[in-house]
Amino acid sequence: MNADVSQPVRLRVNGEQREAQAPSTRTLVDLLRYDLGLTGTKEACGVGVCGACTIMLDGRMVASCIVLAVQADGAEIKTIEGIGDAEHLDPVQESFIRNGGFQCGICTPGQIVAARALLDEIPSPTEDQIKEWMMGNLCRCTGYYQIIDSIKDAAGQAKA
Amino acid sequence: MVSQYQVIGNSAPRVEGIDKVTGKALYTADFSPPGTIWGKALHSPYAHARILSIDTTAAKALPGVHAVITGRDVAGGMYGRAIKDIPVLALDRVRFFGERIAAVAADDEDIAQRALDLIEIEYEELPAVFDPLEALEPSAPVLHDGASAYQGMKLPEGAPPNAYSVIKVDRGDIEAGFAEADVIVENTYHLPRVHQVYLEPQSVLIWLDGERVQVWTCSKAPYNTREALATAAQIPEESVVFNPTLIGGDFGGKATPSDLPICYFLARASGRPVRMILDYTEELMAANPRHEVVVQLKSGVKHDGTLTARQVRFLVNSGAYAGYKPAGIIRGSNQAAGPYKIANTRLEGINVYTNTVPGGHMRAPGEPQAFFAVECHTDEVAKAIGMDPLQFRLLTLVEEGEETAFGEVLQDVLAKQTLMAAAEAAGYYSPKAPNVGRGIGIGDRPPGGGQGTADVTLRPDGTVLLTTGVFEQGSGTYTTFRQVISEELQIDPERVEIEVQNTDYVKMDSGLGGSRGTRIYTTAAYDAAQAAKTELIGLASRQLEWPEDKIAYAGDEVRRTDTGESVRWADLLARSGDTVSGRGHIQDSARPHFTSFTAQIAEVSVDPETGEVKLLSFTTAHDVGKIINPISHQGQINGGVMQGIGYALMEELRVEDGRVTTLSLGDYKVPTIRDIPPMKTVLVQSESGVGPYQIKGIGETPIGPVAPAIANAVADAIGVRVRDLPVTAEKVFQALKEAKA
Repeated sequence: MNADVSQPVRLRVNGEQREAQAPSTRTLVDLLRYDLGLTGTKEACGVGVCGACTIMLDGRMVASCIVLAVQADGAEIKTIEGIGDAEHLDPVQESFIRNGGFQCGICTPGQIVAARALLDEIPSPTEDQIKEWMMGNLCRCTGYYQIIDSIKDAAGQAKA
Repeated sequence: MVSQYQVIGNSAPRVEGIDKVTGKALYTADFSPPGTIWGKALHSPYAHARILSIDTTAAKALPGVHAVITGRDVAGGMYGRAIKDIPVLALDRVRFFGERIAAVAADDEDIAQRALDLIEIEYEELPAVFDPLEALEPSAPVLHDGASAYQGMKLPEGAPPNAYSVIKVDRGDIEAGFAEADVIVENTYHLPRVHQVYLEPQSVLIWLDGERVQVWTCSKAPYNTREALATAAQIPEESVVFNPTLIGGDFGGKATPSDLPICYFLARASGRPVRMILDYTEELMAANPRHEVVVQLKSGVKHDGTLTARQVRFLVNSGAYAGYKPAGIIRGSNQAAGPYKIANTRLEGINVYTNTVPGGHMRAPGEPQAFFAVECHTDEVAKAIGMDPLQFRLLTLVEEGEETAFGEVLQDVLAKQTLMAAAEAAGYYSPKAPNVGRGIGIGDRPPGGGQGTADVTLRPDGTVLLTTGVFEQGSGTYTTFRQVISEELQIDPERVEIEVQNTDYVKMDSGLGGSRGTRIYTTAAYDAAQAAKTELIGLASRQLEWPEDKIAYAGDEVRRTDTGESVRWADLLARSGDTVSGRGHIQDSARPHFTSFTAQIAEVSVDPETGEVKLLSFTTAHDVGKIINPISHQGQINGGVMQGIGYALMEELRVEDGRVTTLSLGDYKVPTIRDIPPMKTVLVQSESGVGPYQIKGIGETPIGPVAPAIANAVADAIGVRVRDLPVTAEKVFQALKEAKA
């Protein structure tokens, strides 16, 4: 594959049709951030182990740093920007604010996308289920305790 | 107890919280002025080599490449924080695997990488030294022949090769102390390099915008970093402006100038804004990790538990350069005798160059190394005289009015109270199952000092603006500002807006670090609020013709104390369209006369067949001042303890023949959400503190005693001692095998 050849990548991102030209080597996270301007998704480890770049791709949770943009052509994508904005916060976002679920905030978009996916799959998870699901999202600030509090609290809110 | 405060002491939500949970928060990598291109540096594949030639012809010819620079294009620039010993790009010699030699700016990262691959370099390998003890031998290769010429360097006289700092302390009579002892215990402890693992990699964007050098970078000490950049690039400091950006984790490692001068020269050569972001391989190979330290401890003790003498040798492997250390050297040696009563002490603290990645600051620099050594050693001394480790500590910990091992006298000493609080919460003496053990770690540190400024402006619409030069790394300083202003002006927190200024704001601001944030910035904000009130009263006096000494500030109003008349200050300001402002500035670097103790107890089980260690529970007790924001305070404790657990059980930046071999976060393991134990926090209220609310620091204290508590628990569980971190199953298994043999 010639890296210099750009090809069109068409995506549906947060409900909106988007298109960009991407060389075959461009990762999906770079395309989202630098071609589409959706900088809410972060990149850290670059090898798919830290979870900072977590997005939903066709309804599945993926690390967008190890997906090539061209592989995602035609996909339905949801990023942190599609979870909720300042006027319409998702209960998970509200809960992270209320419970101190973040400090520096760099892993937070990935944590929230993953937590939202967890609660969509298991509305009232046990602590073990939370740990199992969130294992791929590293956080270096919180020691995770307040992330667990946040997710439990959001689950309680969703039930009510 | 009813608090005297309304807002101070509440878990106020983060000022920047909504931005952070919606992805709107902006970090360095999120800024893209038009025309931004990507910079990338080429790293040395040798630990020690002469550079014979560099050919950049092919790299320059690659389409999409805008600039290629080498050491010849940076005007001999050197950088560093205190000691300026690091070449911007290596000119004729490389001293560590990963050192920056050349750099490229190109349309995208892939093209930049391909251009780097096209650079041809001829090297002549030189003998290298990696081990700090070997580096002190007379036969060791010398890394820096002209070290004394470096700006900021003060070489000690008669020091061994490669040792660029030697600290010696002698107190009492060490020989007499050892002679007096019934038992002498001598151990060596080894602490590995570890990485901060902030999840935002080091990143910088530089744009030469006419006369100004516009910088976005993740430095929590932007004024210091600006100086380092200006010196390296040989440009006036006033021409450089650091723009506000959030910082995605710091833990001490984010004020390093490393790629900034390179980025500047790339921006100059290409005429374009240039962005450089380390990929995580570069982070682990060539950023500024916590230092490898070797600690040799020798103690004399009597059968009754009296410590008669302690000798400390604290050997810091600086790596190839000293420039990443804010003070040039790593301290911690002064903590390596512990908070114990010992009449006779001797200290030798050495910082030594080796051909390895240079170290920098990480959360409580030097202390986790010192605490691990002295707290493990304390258990070993207790064992040698057959005393329980808790009893031994209660017997030897300093008390009010007593001198610490190196002669410091502190006030309001809560060492024993904090330890007892931890022991009670942990059920230290409750029965244990087989292969289960409990271990103690204790340490202390006061909040650091520095300088900081805040401005408060009352506006006609009734809102208040707090202006600051702090670039926040996640610890909650903006929220602290809001709480202080809300408290002091008696207004709803929602009415306080925080504005972050670029580095044109003041001449100097220390920024965050050294657990100084709450100390410095509560004081600056408090003083600014009082100054603004005074200004407001002056204005009210002039406008209303009320006597100034009969006017009081009362929340939304100014009130006349003699007649009881009052006017809303927003109305007063609206009448004239004025605002009133006040500034608070603090410059205080004095070490407080108090400290803050942390006592921790780990409970572990050890599998005798495999050596696997399971952390069953963790108790952390802290002697605290006034807590400004309980959720944020607890967050610092949780995060610090978790990093300590990583240090104890899994983290190590492994280096083989000078090369870091753990080059991804797949290989370099940090704790995940599944690695955290059930945790109990105990807060012991102290009467002392600094600033308007009598606070103590919390950013750094929780991390230090974690690893020795865990290692001591392992020894308690299964009877073997691991003296080098991390305490892996392999090491425990090996120790068990040796104990059986």
